[in-house]
Formats: sequence, C-alpha cells, structure tokens
Amino acid sequence: MNGGTAKPVTLGTKLIGFALIVAAIVLACSVPYMPNYYVRVLDSILIYILLGLGLNIVIGYAGLLDLGFVAFYAIGAYTYALLASPQMGIHLPFLVILPIACVLGVLAGILLGIPVLRLRGDYLAIVTLGFGEIIRVLINNADALTNGPKGIAAIHRIDIFGLTISTPKDVFWLLLVTCILVAIIVWRLQNSILGKAWMAIREDQDAAKGIGINTTNAKLAAFGISAMIGSIAGVIFSAFQRFVSPESFTFQESVLIVLIIVIGGIGNILGVIAGATMLILLPELLRDYAEFRMLLLGLLMAFLIIVRPHGLVPRSFTPDRLFAWMRFR
Amino acid sequence: MTGLILQQAVNALTIGAIYALIALGYTMVYGVLRLINFAHGEMFMLGAYAALVIVIFAFPSGAGLFGALIIFLAAFVAVGLVGVAIERAAYKPLRKTSRLSPMLSSLGISLAIQAAVQLVAGPQPIGFASLFPVKAIEIAGANITTVQIGIIICALLLMFALNRFVASTRLGINVRAVSENMRTAQLMGIDIDRAVSLIFFIGPGLGAVAGILYASYYGVMTPSMGVIVGLKAFTAAILGGIGSIPGAMIGGFILGILEVFGTAMLPILTDGYLGTEYRDIFAFAALILVLLFKPSGLLGERISEETMVYKRDF
Amino acid sequence: MSLEFKNVSKRFGSVIATDDVSLTFEPGLIYGIIGPNGAGKSTLINMAAGSYSISSGSILLDGRPIEKLKKHEISLAGIARTYQNIRLFEQMSVMDNLEVCLYPRDVGGVWKEIFVPSYARAKREERQAHCRRLLEQFALEDAADWDANSLSYGRQRMLEIARALVREPRVLLLDEPAAGLNHGETLELKQRLAALRRPELIMIVVEHDMDLVMTLCDRVVVLHHGALLAMGTPAEVQANEQVQQAYLGTIDDIESIRAVAQSRKAERGLRVNADTVRH
Repeated sequence: MNGGTAKPVTLGTKLIGFALIVAAIVLACSVPYMPNYYVRVLDSILIYILLGLGLNIVIGYAGLLDLGFVAFYAIGAYTYALLASPQMGIHLPFLVILPIACVLGVLAGILLGIPVLRLRGDYLAIVTLGFGEIIRVLINNADALTNGPKGIAAIHRIDIFGLTISTPKDVFWLLLVTCILVAIIVWRLQNSILGKAWMAIREDQDAAKGIGINTTNAKLAAFGISAMIGSIAGVIFSAFQRFVSPESFTFQESVLIVLIIVIGGIGNILGVIAGATMLILLPELLRDYAEFRMLLLGLLMAFLIIVRPHGLVPRSFTPDRLFAWMRFR
Repeated sequence: MTGLILQQAVNALTIGAIYALIALGYTMVYGVLRLINFAHGEMFMLGAYAALVIVIFAFPSGAGLFGALIIFLAAFVAVGLVGVAIERAAYKPLRKTSRLSPMLSSLGISLAIQAAVQLVAGPQPIGFASLFPVKAIEIAGANITTVQIGIIICALLLMFALNRFVASTRLGINVRAVSENMRTAQLMGIDIDRAVSLIFFIGPGLGAVAGILYASYYGVMTPSMGVIVGLKAFTAAILGGIGSIPGAMIGGFILGILEVFGTAMLPILTDGYLGTEYRDIFAFAALILVLLFKPSGLLGERISEETMVYKRDF
Repeated sequence: MSLEFKNVSKRFGSVIATDDVSLTFEPGLIYGIIGPNGAGKSTLINMAAGSYSISSGSILLDGRPIEKLKKHEISLAGIARTYQNIRLFEQMSVMDNLEVCLYPRDVGGVWKEIFVPSYARAKREERQAHCRRLLEQFALEDAADWDANSLSYGRQRMLEIARALVREPRVLLLDEPAAGLNHGETLELKQRLAALRRPELIMIVVEHDMDLVMTLCDRVVVLHHGALLAMGTPAEVQANEQVQQAYLGTIDDIESIRAVAQSRKAERGLRVNADTVRH
C-alpha cells in the first residue's frame, strides 16, 4: 500500500523507525532474563501477529472480509494434534507435519474461496462466518476423531533436529523466527505484482477484471496463502499448549483477529504488529479489570471504525519508509 | 405417528415464531441500510434480561396476564430505545462511508453489549419463570404445552400488527418508502433519520419480545444466547428474502421446520451415526446454500448483474 | 482485422436496450456513437467489454466471437475501455494504476517474481519504464507517486485513458470521456485522442458532446431506441433527415410547438414577433 502523496521521508519518521529497531533488539536480548510470565505474554503476541499477518492478506490486501479465519487456525492445530499425540497413535515429527498442515491449509482456503468468489461484501462475510462455525461444530461433534469438546491432550512438543522446544522461551525464539520469515514473505507479496493485483481487486473488482486480471485466481491465491499462514500458527499453538479443544476456535476468536487488523491498520504489516501488541497488552496492563477487556475491545472497535477507519498506525508507516535510512531493497 | 408429527410441528412452529420475530429486525434494517446488524442478536438477549429485571422489581411474586402484558410492553420500549441509541451513536456516523464499516461497528457493539451484561449479571445461566401458565395438553397423542401455544399466538399477533402498520399507517408507509429507495424518499420530504430511528425501535423491540418468549420456553438465559440464535434468525431472514418483511416471517417458520424435522430425521437417516447435536449445523448449512445459490431468497429483490456497481467494500 | 456486431440485441426484462444492431468497426478510424438518451450507446460498449451479456447475436473480434468470454479474457484479447464515472484504483498510486495492468499472464511468472528478488526487480523496472512513457504522453509523469484520487478530475480522466492503453489494445472503448470536463479540458482531450490514431487501433467514443464528436470522429454511428439509425461521415450524418427528426422531433412537431409559443405570447399582450424587452 503506497503511503499517500509523495512526501519525502521526514526526520520524524526515520527516528521512529530507528527507535522501533532499537526497542526490538533490546526486547529480544532481554528475553533470556525475563520471568516466564512475561515471555508467555510475548508468545501470545507473536501468535496473534502471525494470525494477523495471514488474515491481513485477505482483508487488507484483497479487501475480502473473512469472518471465519479461525477455521484455518483450527485445521492447523488439529492436524498437529492428530499426528503427534496418543489420540490416533501417530507420532510424526514436527518437520513432517508442518508441510502437511500447510497443504491442508491451502486446500481449505481454496475450498472456502471457490464458493465465495461471486459474493461480495456482507454476503461474503456471512458465508465465511458460517464456514468457521461449521468447522467448529464438526470438530466439536466428531468425537471419534477429535475427542469432541474434551479436546486432545498430551500433544508432543516440537522437536527440530534434537532441539526440543519446551519452555516459553524456546517457543519465543521459534515464533520470532517464524514471524520474521512470514513477515518477509508477506512484505514481498505486498510489493509484488500479485499484491498490486489484490489491491486493484480491493479498490474496484470490476475495473480490475476490465484490465485483464484473472480475479478468480488472484482471490483463490489470497485465500490459500492466508489459510496456510493461519494453519502454521495453529500448529505452533497446538504444540505449545500441548492441548487443543474446540473452545479455542470460536467466532469470537475470528472477530478478535479482525479486530487486530482494524485497530492496527488495514493492509499494513506494522499495523498488524501494533494491533496484536495492543490487543494482548491491554488486558495484561489492566489485569485488575480483566472482565472489562471484552467490553473495552468491543467499544474500541466501534469507536475506531468511526473515528479512524484506517487503524491507529498511519498508512504512511510502511517498512520501506520507516527504515529508509537502512539499505532497503 | 400423527401424534409425533404433530408434536414436532408445534415445536417447529414455536421456535419458528421466535426466529421470525428476530428476523424481522434484521430484514428491516438491511432493507433500508444494507447493514447486517450483528448487534441485533443482543437485542434479543437484552429483552430476556430486561424482563428479568422488571419481574424482580415489579412482580416478585409472579405476574398475571395484565402483568405479563406490562412486562412485554416495558421490555419492548426499553430495548427499542437502546436500539435507537446504538443506531445514532455507532451506525449513523458511518452511513456515508463504505459498505462494510457499519457492519464492523455492529460487531464491536455486539461484543460490548455481551460483555456489559456479563459484567452486571454474570456469565452463568439464569433461570426464568415462564410468563405463560404452564399446562400440558394432549391432542392426538402429541404433548403440547400452553407455553408453545402462547408463543405462537403472541408472535402471530405482533406480525399481524406490524403488517398493518407498514401497510396502512403514514409512518409505516414512510418506512417502506425509505427501504425501497432512500434518496427518492428523501427528495419527497420524508425524514430519513426518523424513519431509520423508527426501524431501530421496532426491530429491537420485536427481538426483545422474542427474547422473553425464548426465555419462557427454555426457562433460562445467558449473556451469549443472542449469538447463535441471532445467526439463525439472520439465516431465516435470508431464506425468506432479506429486505422483505413477509419474507422474514415465512423464513422464520421455514427455518423452524427445517431445524426441528431435520434434526429429528438425522439419526434415522444416518443410522444413529449423526445425532441431534448437529442441530446448529442446519442453520449454517442452509445459510451457506441459500447465499451461494439463491441469495435473494424466496421473496427478496432480484439484484441483476447490471444494477450493482461495486467499488470498495471498506 | 475488425470489431463486428452481428445482429446484436440486449433485453433487460421487457425493455429492449439494443435492437438487432449490426455494425463493423475498422482499424485506423475514430468512431463516435451518438443518440438521444436511452438510445443504448453505453449498452453497446458494455457488451463489447463483457460487462453485459448479450441476449442474441454475436460480437466478433477479427472473426472470433467474444461475447461468451469472461471480462478479463476479453481484456486480454485486446479490448480496453474507460468508464462513464471514472473507475480508477483510487488509493493506489498513479504509477501503480498503470503498472498493475501488466500483470503477467502466466502464473509461473507471478510466483517467480515473489521468490526471486532480482527477477522481480528487473521485471518491475521494465514495467515501470513502459508506464512512464505513457505517463509522459499524458503529462502525468510528475504525479507518478501520488494517490490516484488526489489528481484533478481532468487528469483523472487522462489517467483512465492512459490505463486503457497500457497493454496496447486493439480496440479502445471510451464511454463519455468528456463528461464533466470544461471547455479547455475537452479541447485537450480532443487533441490527445486525435493523436492516438493508429493504423491498427479501433477507437470508439460514446459521447453527448456533439461538437467533439463531429470534429474528432471519422465516422459517426447514430442509435435511436436501441436500433441503428445511421452510420457515416459526420457530414453525412448531420444531413440525414432521420437523424434530425430523432433529435428534434418531426417537422410537424416543430410547427405545433411554434404555434403554442406564439399563442402564449399573444395571451400576455406581447406582439407576436417581438423580441424580449430589456428593462
């Protein structure tokens, strides 16, 4: 997404970019010394960043309101749970399950995408919502396979070439690496010709067809890639929690992920990071008022849509402008 | 056998009546503003809680027929006013912006209302004594309760009243004009804001009554009861044709029949493999199938390819 | 090489928007389509571009029927269009509006660009160089990084035409390009469109601005009630009696209008042939 009119990158923007990099490095370096509780919070933030990056492709770039994103999260989580736990007696390693979960995610994304190709706006939103709910109800009721509401427990930890991911700190590094890799891919997508095609679809789908873009393929690609990212997040979540149940994959969860994007900034990677951070930190800071969390979030969502529909992070805060002083390709 | 079918039929009509009342709220709002009001399910929930509050403070030892009427009326008005307030605060500022921002706003409001009620009343289910006298009647081998009959009659009366209102009264005709073509209605001097406020009074009001009926039927209420029931009622509105008032009524009953008979048939058809716990899926499946293959529903407007000029969604 | 309408009809329910129209458009010429309101001018363009389906008949590009193709396939076949109400990609930059038209036809190319940064850079420079030439042609190169919706109305029109030309189309359909333009902008539009004439390009302009059509176009097509009324050079069309009737009514109609106007003047005590009195 281009940042408004061609203003030169101001000193203020450069300073903010610098400050962000410094903060990130300081944070990463202090993790080994942090108490586990704080690291868990960081882990939560990173998972939601991952989910946000995925959903952002469909909502932010292609402009399709998907209210059932949690379905892909669930597919990834349950794929890992079924293939690495006593539930079915299968014990595959993480590095084998990950590509399987990715493929299943892409397939699920395309399967959702095909019927909604002709739908617009609100109808699209409702059908994706229904899809998410159907997945949850199926998981909840297919007792033989998924153990229904009781969930699947004793899921194996992730083991990569002998390195076992067991503590929250281990998970932090895994999530950090994953987030950075996914963020780079998403950033490249955003600036690629496919990303521009998505934005054309978002701006005016008919005009996009009029200039020769195969909107069907482009939209399916958006659904497939975003679903894959959601699925990856699900795998890591499942291995980290070592327990999954349908309760983690409700409609409310889908709404929360949408909220991240709306709060932070639609179509903006840094916005997703800001949104996820806010979404997780706010209830932590107001720990005494934990019950007010949903109330505040709901009101915040409505408020932001009215007052600042593009989200908190300004559209011009894109990585290439913030970090322009570095050699950015 | 006839007894069983009759019983299921009454079950279907009862829940269908409740869906229909809620669906009316969705369809009226969508017809005028093209907005899917996610917060409407919460109006349904608020109705039940409002009735609870009124009962606790005004009728601690039970309410007779007259008392019940007062409860319905008070809840209708109270929740109706809440609906108007929400529209003014959270939807009106977004009227000229994109198509989907009001819907996103309504999502936020929906979350907020659920959370607020949960804060005040707690997340646990609360019992509610039926406002109708509870007596079982046996007709042709079917076990029917007076509660069911009461619900069906109540709903039919309200739907009849709404129909008369929209067809014959000045305000009602204005509402219809605004939902047909807002700009033309405005040019003819109809006060759009007033018509919209009226819709946001009646719709939530009807939803509130449905909430009281539901609580009387199942005897319980929770802060999240509006979510699933709301979605099902929305399905009913789509089935009947979103934007069409008679469509919402018909859609409600159709969904009730689909759900009750479908759920009853499921164990029979699948040899007991799929049981009645898949009840909720009927509504979602119906929703998706209708939206994919006949989005205009039974009585809805046929939107031709040429009349839709879509640009940005949000 | 031509664009041919063969007995094309379009019905919206019981309304006949296009009534058995047969036309052939040859390259190297600028065609204007005119007609009273409701004559079906935009419908013709919308059918050629694939926005509307055809009720009966066929549209042939170089002998190949295109009416059953999908919208984007028609575009890739070489038919480009602009819209009556400008439909740019508003929040994308001017350069992006053009660059996105060069979306690679093959899926492999798209993925290669995502995974091979050097390839992506090379392709992007190639595309942007091509688009920059077009921007210069339309005096838009200074606004290359601006959001499309920050341009003035007149420049937005130019951008839309530029966008239609990015892939060097065979057919250029312009739907009321002068709508909303002031006199000076209309002149500029006329000059630019005239400059686009090319032996292999078919240009079709739907317009209300009679002046523009008669001075710019080589051939004029007149539609009336969805049917073809006349086709010929501007001079031929202007002299055509049927065309005059369609726009102004019959001779008898004009006589009766004059009679009523005169009797009204008499009623008010004015002399029948008097001019308006200036106070």
